[in-house]
Amino acid sequence: MRLTVNGKAHEVDVEDDMPLLWVLRDELGLTGTKYGCGIAQCGACTVHMDGIAVRSCQVAAATADGTEVTTIEGLGTPAALHAVQEAWVEHQVAQCGYCQSGQIMQAASLLDMNPEPTDEDIDIVMSGNLCRCGTYPRIRAAVKTAAQKLQEA
Amino acid sequence: MKRLALMLTLLSAPALAEGENVTIDPPADGTVSRAEGLLAFARIYEVTSHPRCSNCHVGADNLPMWSGPSYGRARPHGMNINAGESRIGAEYVLCSTCHAERASLNDVPHAAPQVAMAWQLAPVEAEWFGKSAVEICNQLRDPDRNGGRDHLEIASHLDHDLILHWAWNPGGGREPAPYSLQAHVNDVLAWGVAGFPCEND
Repeated sequence: MRLTVNGKAHEVDVEDDMPLLWVLRDELGLTGTKYGCGIAQCGACTVHMDGIAVRSCQVAAATADGTEVTTIEGLGTPAALHAVQEAWVEHQVAQCGYCQSGQIMQAASLLDMNPEPTDEDIDIVMSGNLCRCGTYPRIRAAVKTAAQKLQEA
Repeated sequence: MKRLALMLTLLSAPALAEGENVTIDPPADGTVSRAEGLLAFARIYEVTSHPRCSNCHVGADNLPMWSGPSYGRARPHGMNINAGESRIGAEYVLCSTCHAERASLNDVPHAAPQVAMAWQLAPVEAEWFGKSAVEICNQLRDPDRNGGRDHLEIASHLDHDLILHWAWNPGGGREPAPYSLQAHVNDVLAWGVAGFPCEND
């Protein structure tokens, strides 16, 4: 299969039903995207495929063939963080951090689709991303800060 | 604007051509009695009220349901899912975030059901969850609430909509809809030839 990940073209030889998550982690070595449940129940593996948030554990390689994927490694750079990443640092959202790449990718997608989300919007969209540490209040605050940053940019 | 563009893109996904999956062979006009038509509809109701169908035929709250033998008590879809007025989740989380398109069955228990087309709720006019046989009967025969379809067009819809096919082969330990896709199509055709009788007529 061929796919573009974070702007770089790749060709990998995998089974059609290999989850995109394993293509990213095992074939391409991009381990920022995390395995949580493997059944779309937790959101830890969220990436963007053709600009839309997807649970990469649920996307078959055959489905991802020819798409453009963005992972947490490609959302921003250490020198130029994405507004969501900046807000995450400012609010010190992460505790153990395991779910956070998925949280950030989902939050970035939310703001892409809805630049001024209400608390209710944030709660509905982010409910599919579980955080065992319970950082939800900080996630909501950081999403609001990121929205403001993007409005001002 | 981005939401609208996304909705149009997802809803324009190609479906399989009609006639690839079932035979649409209606009984001759005048050969199905009202009583036989009502019996056919009774079986249709068993299908439409089954969780594999009714869980996504929900009302204006746009909340898909989780119900059926493998789910315990009936409850709204987990993860606070709201499919929005778009019925594909464009306002919040797209159905396709988890229900990705896939050519083969996603057979893992508790994983997201997937088919080779965009997942979505049925139109709000076709609300079936919790509705009675009479209510569903009258909805299904009403062109204003069934997409303007006659019985042949309902049968064609059953033929080409792969989400509907999934109901009879849901995988993941889920109970399939009763009878078979072909039997359901035959019942729709017989009910239509009988003149779409409902118990309240």
